[in-house]
Amino acid sequence: MGIARVEEVEELKDGLMRVSIGPQHPISGQGRILVVTDGETVYDIEIDIGYSHRGIEKILENRIYIHGIVPLERMVMLDTSPITMCYVRALEELYGVEAPPRAQYIRTIILEMNRIISHTYALGLFAESAAWNPAIFLWTTADREPFLDLLEMLTGARWSYSFIVPGGVRADLPQGFKEAAFEAIKFFRERLDVYVDSWIDNYLFEVRTRNVGVIPRDKAIEWGAAGPSLRASGVEYDTRKHDPYAAYEELDFKIITDTSGDSYARGGVRVKEMYVSLDIIEQALENIPDGPIKRSLPQRAPPGEAYARVETARGEIGMYVVSDGKDKPYRVKISPASFRNIFLIEMLPKIEELRFADVPVIFYSLDPWFLDADR
Amino acid sequence: MYLQIDELIRFVEANFDIIFKIAIFPGIAFIFGFLIFAVWYERKFLARLMVRMGPVHAGKVMGWLQLIADAIKLITKEFIVPRFTLRSLFFLLPILLPVIPAAMVVLIPFGPGFILYNAMGNGLILFLALSTIYPVLNMLTGWVSNNKFTIIGAFRTIYLDVAAEIPLILSIIGVVIMAGTYDLVGIVEAQSNMWFIIPQILGFIVFFIGYLGMTERVPMDFPVAEVELVFGIKTEYSGPLYLLLMEADYVNWLAWSLLMVVLYLGGYNGPNILGNPVYSGIFWTLFKLLIVLTIVLIIKIGYARLRVDQAVRMGWKYLIPLAVINLVLTILIKYILNIYQ
Repeated sequence: MGIARVEEVEELKDGLMRVSIGPQHPISGQGRILVVTDGETVYDIEIDIGYSHRGIEKILENRIYIHGIVPLERMVMLDTSPITMCYVRALEELYGVEAPPRAQYIRTIILEMNRIISHTYALGLFAESAAWNPAIFLWTTADREPFLDLLEMLTGARWSYSFIVPGGVRADLPQGFKEAAFEAIKFFRERLDVYVDSWIDNYLFEVRTRNVGVIPRDKAIEWGAAGPSLRASGVEYDTRKHDPYAAYEELDFKIITDTSGDSYARGGVRVKEMYVSLDIIEQALENIPDGPIKRSLPQRAPPGEAYARVETARGEIGMYVVSDGKDKPYRVKISPASFRNIFLIEMLPKIEELRFADVPVIFYSLDPWFLDADR
Repeated sequence: MYLQIDELIRFVEANFDIIFKIAIFPGIAFIFGFLIFAVWYERKFLARLMVRMGPVHAGKVMGWLQLIADAIKLITKEFIVPRFTLRSLFFLLPILLPVIPAAMVVLIPFGPGFILYNAMGNGLILFLALSTIYPVLNMLTGWVSNNKFTIIGAFRTIYLDVAAEIPLILSIIGVVIMAGTYDLVGIVEAQSNMWFIIPQILGFIVFFIGYLGMTERVPMDFPVAEVELVFGIKTEYSGPLYLLLMEADYVNWLAWSLLMVVLYLGGYNGPNILGNPVYSGIFWTLFKLLIVLTIVLIIKIGYARLRVDQAVRMGWKYLIPLAVINLVLTILIKYILNIYQ
């Protein structure tokens, strides 16, 4: 037909077809899911990433340390502060310093608010995947607004804060922040109860997501699942607990796990984690110590290397920074959580029978973020 | 040659009743007007439930001008026909599709004596016969488009038909036994004392779920499941042809909702509030129709979509036995009543 074949595609058996979900499709986002199906049963799934590769790792090599924070935030716009936290944590290890305690508490507050914002979005999309029903998505979008306002009050921006910097945070808590935060927490807790009532406990939603996309415990570890996807399979692992950073060591919270490992469990773990996040914010606001919020650092990092990990909303992110003593990093390597989570769906048709309608449900239960995976 | 106006006027005056019914209500103008109203109502009502405003900018009052703008947009768009389609059917089917449900609407009595065509007392039979054509044409629409998504949507239309239509018709037989007639007017008259939703509550549950399937509404809307199939059988259509397909969808919804009103909700029975029994009959029919539409929209917000296998399993495992139980109970009640009468 005059169209050049870009890739060699293997011949399929009779009666099968290869359906390309994305990159232009209501659910795909900036990637592509190739599904081999006979119309209802799914035989193979292939994930095609790289549509939005921006070379963030390379960009970081050309910027002085503190300027690297801004492009890094573009990995996940919804979940920016954990990513900058990871970079800052690696840098602080490289410099051999620690931020003052008050800065650690402010960091914790931002990180948990970001987790709530990211989880509400993920849950809204998860609801849409079981039915094209934007009600829950729009409710969650409206209900994260108090937290966005709080973050704007604190950092000056609704999305990309660039607030966590090596040595501390940029600014102190403004006047009236505490009261507004307690009010927002009270409001959001009520709204979460509404979600659980109207949607998580909804019979038809449970029918659609129970026993769909089950990842057993051993497979979750073997395939490298991260974050809520890992914890829903019964693995009690959370970087906030196992390698504490910010003020998590001094705060009392528990890791949410589920044993069934299906899509419903992954959604449920996210909802319960939001309750935990609210508790953490409350504790941090009550126990926040007085003192400085920042210590100044020299522009040039001492030569050496550092690895840091941080629990983002999508799971554990790892960053490896190498310095050769200049004011820019020699090399930065990022290992994002979505890269591991997105590919879990490729393994599922090999161990269980999937229907075509299950593909979006499983895909969104993993909270995929192609921009995160592409970097 | 010129038009003989006098003769025309005389003809219209002599047949005003039937011409009004064909052209205005419940004929062409009502069916197209319903599309405009239903789209507007669905948009605004769903927007309220979703904590947003819906269209407001075009048209000061409730965004009414937005519908006109959308219609102009759709009508003036280019005809896009994908390669390797059956061009003749691709153009023919969207024109054919709205006709079937429109013919179903024609059989519905709106008020005492206000009916366009009563099919010689076999309105219900003709209604169900026409309704069986609709899924087949729907399936063909998906098949001629030559697209993977539309093909899957076409298969799903047939699965849905299998899951929903058989229990639906079984549940309707209960109503026919209660009323003792296939005539829709007779069925409405039989409900003048008690609506059939009370004695036929089991049958109504089955009918309602089957109705959601036949009208492709949540939770049985998997033929147009956007999350996986983009837009199901309608994926390849755009512009005026898409408008016709949308019209078919909404008129189908209208026809089945009216059938529910007639079979279970007492049809035009109601207090004579407008003075004239015909006008108040029409009012009650449309009022009950609005309530049915609202309930369907609330279900659309509150529930997830069933999977194909789950819907078929529900239809054959639960709905058909329930419909049969309802049928047996109806026959028993009817028998006992006949003994004591």
